[in-house]
Amino acid sequence: MSTTTETVTQMVTPTASLKLSTSSIALPQPSCSSQSQMQALSSARASAQSQASSNSISPAAPAHAKSAIYSANANFQRNTKLNDANTIPNPNSDPNTNLNAPKSQKQMTKAERREQQEAQRAAKATAKTTASQSGTSSSKPTSTHKQSASVSGKGAAYPSAATPKKPGKGQDWKPAKGETKEGAYPHLQMDETPRGLRIFSHFGAPKPPAVTKGDIHPAIIRLGLQFAAFKITGANARCIAMLTAFKTVIQDYVTPPNNTLSRHLMVQLSPQITHLVSARPMSVTMGNAIRQMKLEISGSDIDLPEQDAKNALCDTIDNYIRDRILLADQVIQETAGSKIKDGDVILTYARSSVVEKVLLHSWADGKRFSVIIVDSRPMLEGKALLKSLTAASIPCTYLLLPSLPSVLPHTTTLFVGAHSLHANGAVFSRAGTAMVAMMAKSRSIPVVVCCETYKFAEGIRWDGVSKNELAPTPFPPSSTSNSSSQHNLAIKMNPNLSMLSPLYDLTPPSCITAVVTEVGIIPPSSISSIPGALGRVTIGA
Amino acid sequence: MDLNRALKIPDDVPSNSLDIWTTYQTILRKEEISTPLAAVLALTELVERSDAGTMFELVKALNDGAKVLNARTPNPIGLNAGCELFIAFVTLFPHDSDSFSDLKRELVKQGQKYATEAITYREKIAELALGFIKDDSVILTHSYSRVVMKTLLRAHERKRISVYVTEARPRGLGLRTYDELTAAGIPCTVVLDSAVSYVMDKVDFVLVGSEAVVESGGLINAVGSNQIAIIAKAANIPFYALAESYKFHRLFPLSQYDLPTHNPGILAFPLTSASSSPISLQNNNPSIRTANENASRPEQSRSMTHEQIACNPDVDYTRPDLITLVFSDVGSLTPEGVSQYLVGMFAG
Amino acid sequence: MATEPSSAENHRVVESLAARLRRRQVVGSRETALETVFVLRQVVSKARFSNIDQLVEIIRSVGRKLVEAQPKEYTVGNTVRKVLHHIREEYHTASQGTTASSTPKPSFSIAKFVSQGQPRKQATPQKTSHETRGMLKENNPDDPDAFARTLKPVLMEAIQDVFDELETVYDNISKNAKDHIHSDEIILTIGKSSTVEAFLKSAAPYRKYTAIVADTAPSYSGQEMAQSLSSAGISTVLVPDSSIYALMSRINKVILGAHAILANGGMFAITGSLLVATAARAHSTPVVVCAGQFKLTPQWNLYHEYGALDFADPSSVLGFEEGDLVDKVDVVNPFYDYVRPEMIDAYVTNDGDHPPSSVYRLIKEAYDDEDYEL
Repeated sequence: MSTTTETVTQMVTPTASLKLSTSSIALPQPSCSSQSQMQALSSARASAQSQASSNSISPAAPAHAKSAIYSANANFQRNTKLNDANTIPNPNSDPNTNLNAPKSQKQMTKAERREQQEAQRAAKATAKTTASQSGTSSSKPTSTHKQSASVSGKGAAYPSAATPKKPGKGQDWKPAKGETKEGAYPHLQMDETPRGLRIFSHFGAPKPPAVTKGDIHPAIIRLGLQFAAFKITGANARCIAMLTAFKTVIQDYVTPPNNTLSRHLMVQLSPQITHLVSARPMSVTMGNAIRQMKLEISGSDIDLPEQDAKNALCDTIDNYIRDRILLADQVIQETAGSKIKDGDVILTYARSSVVEKVLLHSWADGKRFSVIIVDSRPMLEGKALLKSLTAASIPCTYLLLPSLPSVLPHTTTLFVGAHSLHANGAVFSRAGTAMVAMMAKSRSIPVVVCCETYKFAEGIRWDGVSKNELAPTPFPPSSTSNSSSQHNLAIKMNPNLSMLSPLYDLTPPSCITAVVTEVGIIPPSSISSIPGALGRVTIGA
Repeated sequence: MDLNRALKIPDDVPSNSLDIWTTYQTILRKEEISTPLAAVLALTELVERSDAGTMFELVKALNDGAKVLNARTPNPIGLNAGCELFIAFVTLFPHDSDSFSDLKRELVKQGQKYATEAITYREKIAELALGFIKDDSVILTHSYSRVVMKTLLRAHERKRISVYVTEARPRGLGLRTYDELTAAGIPCTVVLDSAVSYVMDKVDFVLVGSEAVVESGGLINAVGSNQIAIIAKAANIPFYALAESYKFHRLFPLSQYDLPTHNPGILAFPLTSASSSPISLQNNNPSIRTANENASRPEQSRSMTHEQIACNPDVDYTRPDLITLVFSDVGSLTPEGVSQYLVGMFAG
Repeated sequence: MATEPSSAENHRVVESLAARLRRRQVVGSRETALETVFVLRQVVSKARFSNIDQLVEIIRSVGRKLVEAQPKEYTVGNTVRKVLHHIREEYHTASQGTTASSTPKPSFSIAKFVSQGQPRKQATPQKTSHETRGMLKENNPDDPDAFARTLKPVLMEAIQDVFDELETVYDNISKNAKDHIHSDEIILTIGKSSTVEAFLKSAAPYRKYTAIVADTAPSYSGQEMAQSLSSAGISTVLVPDSSIYALMSRINKVILGAHAILANGGMFAITGSLLVATAARAHSTPVVVCAGQFKLTPQWNLYHEYGALDFADPSSVLGFEEGDLVDKVDVVNPFYDYVRPEMIDAYVTNDGDHPPSSVYRLIKEAYDDEDYEL
């Protein structure tokens, strides 16, 4: 604690009293271990700000600010005690505070409101044990609790109601360092937070959709809920669902007077996108599609009648879905299918919609092969694939990830899907894919990634930790898979135990033999040289 | 006993001045005697004929004999292993017996006894390796090796196996392996030495014999073994070597060119570049023509001249890190184990 | 013999353990080893023999019976071998006085010379104060039990040594834990190995580190492990198996348990170990295996990747809730993985730390060659 205070004090230089609030934002966040500390700091900042603004030119301002911070410090200690007793911290609120900080005038009221909110929530949560809540921000009880809170209309007072303007568009989420852990481990002093948790603290945690603010279209709200509940998953499915919802939004859009569609529609769409992102971090596919859509909107003819312009936009969206996803998938089915021969044993991991199509298509083509499906928690998506393949009477073998080595001697080819593909040829895909690819590679089994070119993401990644997302329910207690297991213990939470369940991992290009795209089979490193991979070619033209 | 008859020296050789080289050659004619054993037996003969009166003289005579053998054979590695073993044995033999001739008689007896025992080592190794061969195994082997043959035939009695064997140019000994295995009813296909990497992914493990197993834990064997081991390593395929314990050799090659078999002639470039280049140009001309023309005259396949072959090595050295296990009559050993074993034998 | 009460009782004891092994009622390597020692102690104490060969044969036959009951539980055989080794050692010490005089001149042959290369135990100073010296007579026609009577106390001591080693195995493995785990490290482990559990816990008071435990499908024993570690005050993160690769770049060390350590330095371990070890190799992360020396198994040829596997109940992978799916689908669920020696950096045992390449030497020292096949 003292370190933080010192940092703050150092920052308050006599000449920079007006900049106080901004410099406070630059506080090293990772050292904050408790949400209430953040709160205390923000109120300190607010009061300091108000004092500073009241006599902004006064040389006494620094002293005021300092004292305000010290009082905040005391306040914090009180709050910490309270927290230790029974507070449910809200992981989402901190970054908001953080990001909202520049709007200094609002700050005070917001802080007050939040304190009030905190008290209410604390009262509500007395029934629940601190332990069960504090394990991880992503543990199920917490998230359902939050969700019900927001759905039941208390949203107005919900802390994250103040959805911030996102700095830096196109970012998948807004990871202020140390975001998740602050809420998760209120009992830990900052220097005691285990490193193991700190270094993973930037993973985006699943959260309920932020409460509607402004004009969020009902279709988007519904979609947000579906995203948050993982009802719609998969890079393709999410992208298609989003674009379809946007079509509705566009059709329902009316250009206000004295404005043009090409300028204003995007203003209208931005909060919709923000809403979706608050439900679940944006996928690369969604980002690429949105970028393309923005391009189309800004390029739409001003002279066109509004309805025609809207229709034209919807057509472009349809074309995008058709060309970049559906037709691409068909080409991939053909191309990848040509790599399947009679008698092959195809290995796949979890469930990729493209791989599923490839397998079904090949089988319908008369190829006779068998499939080994490897699956793993947290999602156990392979079961869905298993159902669909057995329904087509494809012979299947099913196993969980650790058993993988025992089937490798019989495997001919590995087919996997992708979430996104990076410039260095690394494939970002469902967690576990990297391991399956690695094992296949060690046995000289070809590793084939089926991936549409619109999944290309600019930039290079080295490992799966740098950016990731957490699964909604990492360890479902009533999972069908372990009902007969002797180890089916309900996990009893304790302060030292936490759970972490990344949704994705990164397969290095060295483990990948080929990427099947709609432009053909390419080595992983060549993805960046495909024209149009980033949508540089005008769609639908 | 067959063996003893093999030892009998032609009568025309003067009994005292034994022609060790001829003896060695005669012994080697026996099918199941390999070079190290022949060397042991030849030296045993030398002891028998020796008129040395002291241990010092005897050891000197043996060393001289070993030197003669070494000098006269182009590939002395296996032979050296045998000489080394016998001489070390003689040196360390507890000689508290009263008369030196008794001692010599004892040494001769031991040498012959060992040779008889050593013949059974291949059986022992085959039995040991059997445990590693599962049903339906596909095995790649190189050239011709008696211990590998024994192992494969033994495995065939109990399990279904199929074998790829390399042609092993220039001597083409792989074809001999092919003939014998096919005769025994084992499915066998000869692959080109240059097709090893092509076949590797189809193979469960590689099984080779050896000329010698050296102190680094590495292996000296017919040329081509090293590249097979490298390819096997790259494909994560186990590489097993079979070696009778008399092939354990105290030698530490640092590289291929550190082998005793290496000489400046191997891999040498022709001296007269002016005269040879027109020939090579001429030779190259047909290949410049279109592929069709070449394909239409497949009988015109060309082969290396004797001079060209002479520029190539007979054996190569396989690094220990490429070898999964060495099966020997003293047990299965990791390459590190081989190295420790050799140290224990000669330095212990 | 079979009619004698002592032998009948022995028979019953052996059969009882064999039955429990067969039904997998005795689980856990150390537990099994301890049970085996108990049975052997009883057998030896009741057995009648008049020379060492008879005794060895009695023990071997018990060993064969137990191994047959559960061939995958290698510690049974290992324990029997260890007991045999100790018994022979005691016998040789005890009989030195009597046999030394009649020792035939050591026959020296080339084969023997070659076998000098075999790794052997450093010559241990002989214990000198043995009252039994000079009194040990085998095959005494007047008193056939005299041999057994004289030797038994020593044998019991020998068996007690094996027992003590097993008793203290966790302590001895863990005693250097803090030298292997450093401050602020992130350690990954999978499943629930009692050895690893003891090891990690013993480092906890000295080092502030984080343990990441993969839940290890389909048993999900990692959950239990995470529970246990966290309640011991170790900051623990439970992760699904799928995240191992993603997290590996942040992990400092992988610590695994073993089911059996083979002579080539490889090991059998819980399913998932190969995956973790390979991922660790891909990231150049050290892989340390904690195991007692009773897991050293003098066999090489166990690793036929498929054949040696022991398959567990498929329903834990695909439950019967899936109904019709279960009939149409092959489910694979092996117990153990074979991990090649090059995947392992070190074995931390109750008797020092060893690289995989030294395992075969340890085995040569721990057991007698003639016992490899019981």
